[in-house]
Amino acid sequence: MGVSRPSGAPLTPGQAPYTGVRVVELADDPAGEMLGLQLANLGADVVKLEPPGGSSSRQAGPFVDDVADPDRSLAYWYYNIGKRSVALDYAELSAGAAFEALLDDADILVSSLHPLQLAELGIDFDALAHAHPELIVVSITPFGLTGPWATRLSSDLVGLAASGLLVMCGYDDHAIPPIRPGGNQAFHTAASFAHQGAVLALIERQRTGRGALIDVSMHEAAAMTVELANMYWFYPRVLVQRQTCRHAQPVPTQPALFECADGRYIYFVLILADPKPWRALVEWLDSAGMATDLTDDGYNDLEFRQANFAHVQELLEVFFLTRTADAAFHDGQARSLPIGILNAAEDLYQDEHLAQREFFENIDQPGFGDVRYPSPPWRMSTRRGGSRAPAPKLGEHTEQVLGKVADVR
Amino acid sequence: MNSASALGDLRSDPDRTPGPRSGPLQGITVTDFCWMGVGSLATRLLADFGARVIRIEDRKRLDMPRRLPFYKGAGLRSYGEELVDPDPNLGGCFNNYNRNKLGVTLNMSAPEGRALAERLISISSVLTENFAPGVMEKWGLTESHVRELRPDIIYARMSGFGHSGPYADYRSWGPVVQAICGLSGISGLPEREPSGWGLSYMDNQAAYYNSVGVLAAIFARNRGAGGCDLDVSAIEAGIELLGPALLDAGVNGRSTRRPDFPSGNRLDHPAAAPHGVYPSTGIDRWVAIAVFGDAEWTRFVAALGHPDWAEDPEFATEQARFDHQDRLDAYISEWTRTRTGHEAMETLQAAGVRAAAVQTAEDINETDPQIAFRGTFFELDHPVIGEARFEGVPFQASTFEPDNWRSGPLLGEDVGYVFGELLGLSESEIKDLAEREVL
Repeated sequence: MGVSRPSGAPLTPGQAPYTGVRVVELADDPAGEMLGLQLANLGADVVKLEPPGGSSSRQAGPFVDDVADPDRSLAYWYYNIGKRSVALDYAELSAGAAFEALLDDADILVSSLHPLQLAELGIDFDALAHAHPELIVVSITPFGLTGPWATRLSSDLVGLAASGLLVMCGYDDHAIPPIRPGGNQAFHTAASFAHQGAVLALIERQRTGRGALIDVSMHEAAAMTVELANMYWFYPRVLVQRQTCRHAQPVPTQPALFECADGRYIYFVLILADPKPWRALVEWLDSAGMATDLTDDGYNDLEFRQANFAHVQELLEVFFLTRTADAAFHDGQARSLPIGILNAAEDLYQDEHLAQREFFENIDQPGFGDVRYPSPPWRMSTRRGGSRAPAPKLGEHTEQVLGKVADVR
Repeated sequence: MNSASALGDLRSDPDRTPGPRSGPLQGITVTDFCWMGVGSLATRLLADFGARVIRIEDRKRLDMPRRLPFYKGAGLRSYGEELVDPDPNLGGCFNNYNRNKLGVTLNMSAPEGRALAERLISISSVLTENFAPGVMEKWGLTESHVRELRPDIIYARMSGFGHSGPYADYRSWGPVVQAICGLSGISGLPEREPSGWGLSYMDNQAAYYNSVGVLAAIFARNRGAGGCDLDVSAIEAGIELLGPALLDAGVNGRSTRRPDFPSGNRLDHPAAAPHGVYPSTGIDRWVAIAVFGDAEWTRFVAALGHPDWAEDPEFATEQARFDHQDRLDAYISEWTRTRTGHEAMETLQAAGVRAAAVQTAEDINETDPQIAFRGTFFELDHPVIGEARFEGVPFQASTFEPDNWRSGPLLGEDVGYVFGELLGLSESEIKDLAEREVL
C-alpha cells in the first residue's frame, strides 16, 4: 500500500488510530451506522451517502421535542455525529463517476444494504474489489451475502428471534412471549463484529497491501452472542429456559431482581458456593439487625445453605425493601458484593463515577445547543480526545465532497 | 494434577505442538492474564487470527470456565451447580473460549513467578488483563514498569468500571454491568419489572469492544504511534449500546421510567405494526413478525390469504395499525397458532415479509440451513473432552481466515514450549520450577 494514502502516513503523538482513514458509508440501518460511528469516533473521516430523502434513521425518531423533521431525529443524531453527509441518488451509484471517484480515495466502504437492494442498484462487491484492489469493503447483511437465506428480510426483532438470543430473554411466566432486549442489539452485535473485521483487514493490508471483502452476517453475529446457550447445547445437549431478568438456564433459579424501598431495583445473585460473599452478606444483614437465623453455624455448610436458599431469598427480599436502591448498591459494593443498581438511561447523566471519568461529552448541535453524548469507550493513553463534529444536516457536505471529487477528476 | 508429569505426558502429542501461525496477527505475541468469559473471549479473537496468545493461569485459583459444569452427559444442571473438585480439563466453557491459545501456569505470589512473567512481557508486544484494578499493580506490573520491560507494548486493561473514578474498585460481572449501564432497564413490558437479559450480553459485547481496542492500537502502532495503555470499561461500552433511547432521555428529558416504557416487543421508532412475537404450535414456541410500511403490510395480508379482518379501517394505515395493535395481534395470533414457527416463517418470507421462528440453540445447531451453509460452527478434538463443537467467527474475509489449529489448552499444557523454547529455560529448570510450585 502506498504511503501516499493518508491512512498509511505515520501518526503523530495524540492522533487517533484511524486518523487519515477514509470511509464511505452506505448504511440505512443501525448496524452500518454504528460501524461508521465507531470508525469516526476513532479518527476516521466518514462520508455518509444518503438518498435525497435522507437515511431511514432521519425518519425514525424519536425527534427533538417530538417535531418530526429529518434534521431533528435523535436516532439519526445518535448514530451519525462526526460524519459528513452527502446526498446522492442511490440509483446513480453504479453508473455515476462520483461514487467511483470516492472509492478511489477510500480505505473502507461500509455497506449495510440488503443483497436485493445491492442487486437492484447494480453494486457488485467482487467487481468493486477488483477495480479497487486496496479497498476494504465491509458488508453487513441480515444473513450474509451467501447461503439459502441470503435474500431473506430481517429486522432487529426478527434477527434476535432467528439467532437463538431472543428465546433466552423474557419472564418466568412462559405464557408471555420472549421479550426483545432493548436498543437495537442484533444490529449492534453485527456492528461489533464488523468493526473487528474492518480493523483486521486494515492490519492485513498493512502487511500485504491488499484490500478485502468482509462479509458480516447479522444472523451469525447474534447466534454467536448467546453466551452459555450454545455451550449448553454443545456439551450436555440441553436447552435453556428464560427467567425474569437473569440467566436463562436448564433449570429454574432464584430471582435476582430485588425491589427496593424507593420502587427501584437492584440486581444481585448470591454465589452460594463461595463462602466470602456469604459471610459479607450475613454481616451486612446482621448490621441492620435483619440476619435472623442466618448467623447460625448451620449456614457455614454449603449444602445447608443450598437447602435453605428459598428462606435466604425471602430475607433478602425484606431486607432490600428497607433501603433505597442507591444505598443498597453502594453499601453492598462497599462489602465487595457484586450488586448492580438498575439505572434508567436518564440516571446515567447524573452518575458521579461517569462524571469523574468525563464520560459524557458536549457536542454543539447548531440550532439546538449542547447535546451530551457518550464518549468512545476506547481510552488510549496516546490519544487526546478531540471534539467530534455534530450530526450533519441532510446533504450538508454534498458540495464540499462531490465538488472536490469533480475537481480531482 | 502434577505439572511435571503433565509436561512429560503432553510433549508426545505432535498434533498439539505449537507452530507458526497464519493470519493478520501473525508475529504478535500476547501475554494474556485475561480470565472468566469476558476476558477469554476478548483475546480469543486475537488467537483466532494468528496472534501467539500465552494464557497465564493460576493453579490455586482456577479460571471459572474451567470449573463450570459444561460436560457431555451432565444433564440438567445450572451453571452454579459446580462439582466439588472439578477436573480443570473437562470444562467445555473453557474449551470454547480458549481455543487457539497457549496455556501456562504461573504462581504470581512467588518472586520467581513474577520474574518469569516479566520475561514473557518483554518478548510480547501486547499485554492483556481483566482483573479488578490494583491486582496487576500488586504484582509490580504498573503501566510504567511494563513499559520499561517493553517500550512499545500495548497494555490492554479491561474492567467493569474502568481504571479511574470513584467506583473503579466495584465488583461486576455481565448482569451487573447490564443493570448499571441501563440495558436491563430498557427491556421489558410496560408496568412490569424489567425482563432485562437472559444472558451476560455485556460479557460478550465488552469482549468484542476489547478485541477492537487492541486491534485499533496494533493498527496505530504499525503506523509509528508506539505502544499505549488501553482502559476499556464494560459499563461505558454498554452505554454506547443503549442507542437513541439515551438521547430521548438527555435531549427531550423523557424518563425511561415512564409507565408505557419499555414497550416489550412493540416498536415505537419508527411506529411499526404489526411488530411482535406470536404463539405457534408446540410448547413455548413462537414466531417473530415485523411489518414496516404499507407495501410490507400488503404483502403480509396476501401471505395470510386476505382475511376479512385485514380490511377493517382500523388497520388501513400504519398509524391506525399501530394504534390498534392489541386487536391486530389477536388476529395474527389466530393465524400463527395453527402452524409451526418455521412454517409461518417460510410462508411469510416467501411473500417478502420479515419473520423468523424464535429459534433455540438446538435449531441453530442442528437444522438452521444458513448457519450450516456458512459453516459458522466447527469441530476440534480435545485430549480429555474428545471432539467438541466451537462457536466460529460470524464474518467471512476474502483474503484471510481464522487459523483454528487447536482446542483449548490443558492446564499448563504449554509450559515446555513457552518457558523452554521461547524463554530458553532447560528441561530440568522447568521441572524444578514445577516441583517448587512456581508453575
